Amino acid sequence: MTAVSPRLLALIPLAVGINLAMGKFAAATSFPLFLDTVGTVLVAALAGPAAALLTGLVSQTTFTVLDGRLMWLAFLPVQLGVALYASWAARRGLFASVPLALVSGTGLGLLAATLSWPISLLLFGGVTAGGVTIVTTLLTALGVPLTWAVYAASLSSDVLDKLITFLLVYAVLISLPARMAARFPAAARALGRA
Amino acid sequence: MIVGYVAGKSPLHQAHPFTGLVLAGTVVVLAFALPAPQGPAALAVALTALALLARLPRVLLAALGFSLPFWFFLGVIHGLIGDAPLRALTVGAQITAMLIVFLLVLATVHPARLVDALLQRGVPFSLAYLISATLQAVPRLRQQAADVVDAQRCRGLRVQGSVWRRVRAIVPLAIPLVLGALGEVDERAMALDARGAAAPAHRTPLEPPPDSISQRIVRWLLAAGAAAVIVWRIVA
Repeated sequence: MTAVSPRLLALIPLAVGINLAMGKFAAATSFPLFLDTVGTVLVAALAGPAAALLTGLVSQTTFTVLDGRLMWLAFLPVQLGVALYASWAARRGLFASVPLALVSGTGLGLLAATLSWPISLLLFGGVTAGGVTIVTTLLTALGVPLTWAVYAASLSSDVLDKLITFLLVYAVLISLPARMAARFPAAARALGRA
Repeated sequence: MIVGYVAGKSPLHQAHPFTGLVLAGTVVVLAFALPAPQGPAALAVALTALALLARLPRVLLAALGFSLPFWFFLGVIHGLIGDAPLRALTVGAQITAMLIVFLLVLATVHPARLVDALLQRGVPFSLAYLISATLQAVPRLRQQAADVVDAQRCRGLRVQGSVWRRVRAIVPLAIPLVLGALGEVDERAMALDARGAAAPAHRTPLEPPPDSISQRIVRWLLAAGAAAVIVWRIVA
């Protein structure tokens, strides 16, 4: 812990704040999205996997503490998976264009749904956040087995959520002022310029 | 409904922050380890009594508000469709017990006291800073996000309408918030550097929360109780 540089120490709390504030925009536009990994993906693109993992860990813990709902901590593996995938995508320059960001964002959505599926199924009996649970309920009522209903519900929300997350981070990276971009050399790599 | 710290003089308020955290950890273990459904249900009832003793009915109201949707969907999915009402009761009681204890800890442990307690136990300053800076940054950025929504709507941004229009509306909302936060990084990094944040030296908290032998005993008993239940369930 003592090895964390002041720059990262300054960046991570703000990234967590971004993760937890994005929900306001989803609410304002009436989208049933979380957008709670925008900060994590951004840190992955700006500062690499270690910082992104730390952001994911702090973010999920803080969300749990502020929300008072301990069960959200069970979804920590999803945040960590997002951090690792986004770091890999940034290193490969997958934020270079809108189509690339769309494809890699969809990949992240599939990964996130696959990670959150067993958690919500085994720990919560398939009942988690409002919108997703309504989809699960409808599918089980139609005769779909609970296991697949939960997976389908996770997919329906996660793919769109992570796709928009990647597009947002792409939009942030291309609009970074030159002076700010110079402080984060990894950003140029994520955009495929280095 | 958001529940945060509620000032008070209950034993839970005066307890060392770690006592509350150990209590929360014990409840989580017990909620899953005790025989279902009567174990989790008894746990939820006991915690309700504890919240009433601490004079924190707000905690119970919030826990009720958060857990009602769960009870509803669990009842529909497992009770009506799945024909397994006991499973609904088990998961519902587990969730309710964890909600109450976590809201209780949140209402009785002040973040600053927790940070002081961590520093006193030799937790590195960087970790303690990370916790307190995050707890302060989140409400501030949430407020900023609400301000950005208002400001952009004043400028004529339409946040309702077709799906495509709403997707496009997220960009002018998110960019100012994110760039504004990134703009703060430099200033904060310099301030942290000037305060020797990267130095591994031990820091002395100004007002460490008092601890006592009896509280230590309570913490060890809680932890031992949780461990004993796990062993009992594995053996039995």
